[in-house]
Amino acid sequence: MNPAVHLDGITKRFPGVVANDDVDLEIERGSVHALLGENGAGKTTLMNVLYGLYRPTEGTVVVDGEPRSFASPRDAIDAGIGMIHQHFMLVDPMTVWENVVLGNEPRTWGGLRVDEATAREAVVELSERYGFDVDPDARIADVSVGVQQRVEILKALYRGADVLIMDEPTAVLTPQEVEELYDVFEELTDQGKTIIFISHKLGEALSAADEITVLRDGVKVGTVASADVTREELAEMMVGREVLMEPATTPREPGERVLEVTDLHVEDDRGVEAVSGISFELREGEVLGIAGVDGNGQSQLAEAITGMREPASGSVDYFGEPMAGVSRREHIDRGMAFVPEDRHERGLVMSYDLVQNGILGSQHDPPFASGGRIDWNASTEHAESVIEAYDVRPPNPDADAEDFSGGNQQKFIVGREFERDPDLVVAAHPTRGVDIGSTEFLHDRLLELRAEGKAVLLVSSKLDEVQGLSDRLAVIHEGEFSGVVDPATVTEEEIGLLMAGETLDDETVSGAAIHDAVDDGLDGSGADGADGTGDPDDAGGSDRETATDEEVGA
Amino acid sequence: MRNPLADVPVPLLDDLIDDEYVRSLVVGVVGTLGLLGLFGLLFPGSVAGDLAGIVFSTSTAASTARLAAPIVLAGLGGIFAEKSGVINIGLEGLLIISAFASVYVASVVGIGNAVLGIPAIWIGFMAGIAASTLLAGVFGVVCIEFKADQIIAGLAVWLIALGLAPFMSTVFFGGVNTPNLGANVGWRYSAVMVVVATVASWWALNRTAFGKHLEASGENPKALDTVGVSVSRVRYAGVLLSGVLSGVGGSALALSIGQFVGSGETMVQGKGFIAIVAYLFGNYNPLGTLGAGVLFAGLDAIQIRLQQLGYAVPDTLVQTIPYVVVIVVLALVGRTRLPAAAGDHYETEE
Repeated sequence: MNPAVHLDGITKRFPGVVANDDVDLEIERGSVHALLGENGAGKTTLMNVLYGLYRPTEGTVVVDGEPRSFASPRDAIDAGIGMIHQHFMLVDPMTVWENVVLGNEPRTWGGLRVDEATAREAVVELSERYGFDVDPDARIADVSVGVQQRVEILKALYRGADVLIMDEPTAVLTPQEVEELYDVFEELTDQGKTIIFISHKLGEALSAADEITVLRDGVKVGTVASADVTREELAEMMVGREVLMEPATTPREPGERVLEVTDLHVEDDRGVEAVSGISFELREGEVLGIAGVDGNGQSQLAEAITGMREPASGSVDYFGEPMAGVSRREHIDRGMAFVPEDRHERGLVMSYDLVQNGILGSQHDPPFASGGRIDWNASTEHAESVIEAYDVRPPNPDADAEDFSGGNQQKFIVGREFERDPDLVVAAHPTRGVDIGSTEFLHDRLLELRAEGKAVLLVSSKLDEVQGLSDRLAVIHEGEFSGVVDPATVTEEEIGLLMAGETLDDETVSGAAIHDAVDDGLDGSGADGADGTGDPDDAGGSDRETATDEEVGA
Repeated sequence: MRNPLADVPVPLLDDLIDDEYVRSLVVGVVGTLGLLGLFGLLFPGSVAGDLAGIVFSTSTAASTARLAAPIVLAGLGGIFAEKSGVINIGLEGLLIISAFASVYVASVVGIGNAVLGIPAIWIGFMAGIAASTLLAGVFGVVCIEFKADQIIAGLAVWLIALGLAPFMSTVFFGGVNTPNLGANVGWRYSAVMVVVATVASWWALNRTAFGKHLEASGENPKALDTVGVSVSRVRYAGVLLSGVLSGVGGSALALSIGQFVGSGETMVQGKGFIAIVAYLFGNYNPLGTLGAGVLFAGLDAIQIRLQQLGYAVPDTLVQTIPYVVVIVVLALVGRTRLPAAAGDHYETEE
């Protein structure tokens, strides 16, 4: 039997860059294949070639034994290839079924009318066949990210896709949703579909894929069966050197209290309460991790602490001083660094070069400002030092921020903020979109800051990151801490449950709340705990069901 | 605050209109007219009686239809363009150019003559549509192909038409105003065209595949592109339709009088801009646009009649009635939401 897809000697050159260099890839029908590599390794480019978005400079695409030349995605779709992009291609105000059939609407009345009944029926049928639980009439804007992803898969299936390409499919999902996605993979491959997914996460490639192909700098390093390879070996294939998998945290005696947050309530832009009564404190030389599904109030919490957003009530004390009404500039001047969640909106001015971006927030201060004028020489030197220290590529301080890849933009922002010599670092998703080599470096830097006695508030949706780096780990759900746990002893599954808003038995969290200024639900006995955060579903054992229905909603 | 008009119970409407905003617009307009009629009947001698007399007279209906045609039709055109992601603020220019072209061609053919059995005045009508579509096409190429700023290109369309039409009139007829053709298109035609275009637009937007593509093109063009539908083609279609519909409106406006008036702001007098307000007001729903357009045109017609009635109120104050009502209604019905990608250029990858 022919392989489902065979990429034969694919080379793709862009002006000045070779994105893929003579890549061979064979993918068995009915298998799950992971395409693993760091940012900029050429994974997405390769898949865009397969999907007809790019034409290969050299090489051929063979689908089901037949050489093909795709001029556009339409041709690829006709050949049975579907792609689910990292950023979903869905029209928010339209319904699920409208999105699924978009561009291929069944028509009646001589084409003058979309045949709604047929379209809905087809969507319902597909949805049931693969065990997706999707309401065809829901609006995309109203459903969770996990459901949106299933709508994307339905879109591809509706177009007759036999091969599904998924770009970083787990980036936006909770651990439970990821499990569900793996189940979906199984269901799809059982019915003869082939899945290729792009990832830079080792764990996910190992647990979901049958075979893994590693790309580095546009070149294929090798294809291995996931059963025959270890994490360490894979990491070495990706990075080209040995990687220290676990960041080495050494226990440390926390020092003076840096931050004290008391019963903080914060509203989001729409005036809806996003943070509902959070209290905690943070000391010198301590990392407090905040885990949670995006959109559960962590952005608003970080913004309230850093002075970007006025809290509705409650207080934030910084070195014992209340920060209410203190300007954003004053926050920076007093040594608060902030790595914002949205690097385009808040982290960088996209049309500025890195020299200008590098002094954002310090533009009033020496050595960058002297007598109302900006010292561009000092600024350039600063940008260059950040670029060098944080391995920003290409190392060109005069290039505009928008010309850098997401991972490199992120490295630059983190570098700028970490080099401010702060007392408190509030870092929201500091390694989002950053490859493992650089992630390792950023983690090391963060631990160095901790060793220097800085306080760090680390918001992240990557569990291994918050777990590996934090001294304490708080899990946020719908604006409240559903638990504060000891990252050394808690399991991923337990964190997943907390992320879905459930509570844990008392024993699981023992040894956790070191300073235990936490929300109620946890300090009583096990039974009280369950009542405290009052989830009506948590009596039953069906954790996963509840998890998906509950989560996200962002 | 929740808008009170959205809660008025009218069972039939709920099946027809799922948009709360448009629903309240319809309830508001119909309700106001109903109340006015009721008071007029009850107190024939009062101001309400006078008003009802004006509102429900045939001549008011006629001038409302005449004034509403360009507003509603250009407004419908604007919906197609903006839904696709191209904000067309050049509607005013499209109305001007079609108003002139229709009269010019009709006079060249000569009233009383016919081409292929079609009377001159209707040949003129079609020429007006063609002229407007052509200009919209140029606007489309500039915005979609060459990625010009849509607002600036739209202003250019207006300014070009505003200069070109009176200039051509001077060249061909020796004055900015053309002589009267001595024939016209009756107001009932305008009314029928408005209604037919509204219903057809509603269908096209809400029931056809093209309508879905338009919406996707304006909300998330990439989603449309990745399923293999050309975003530029959908946007060209939207812009050209705005040309066709504005052309009908401009031709109907000029030919209902039989003359093109090119002095000052020309006979279009800002109706293209009011059309933009009308479709925003109607929240991109053709029925709402019709309601808003008829409301403006009706108030304008009433306002003209009121001036003739000789109340001891300054005319300038009476002239502001339509605008005051607009503000009040706007405050009552709330806000509209622009398509997410309106105004943005779209580039396919590679």
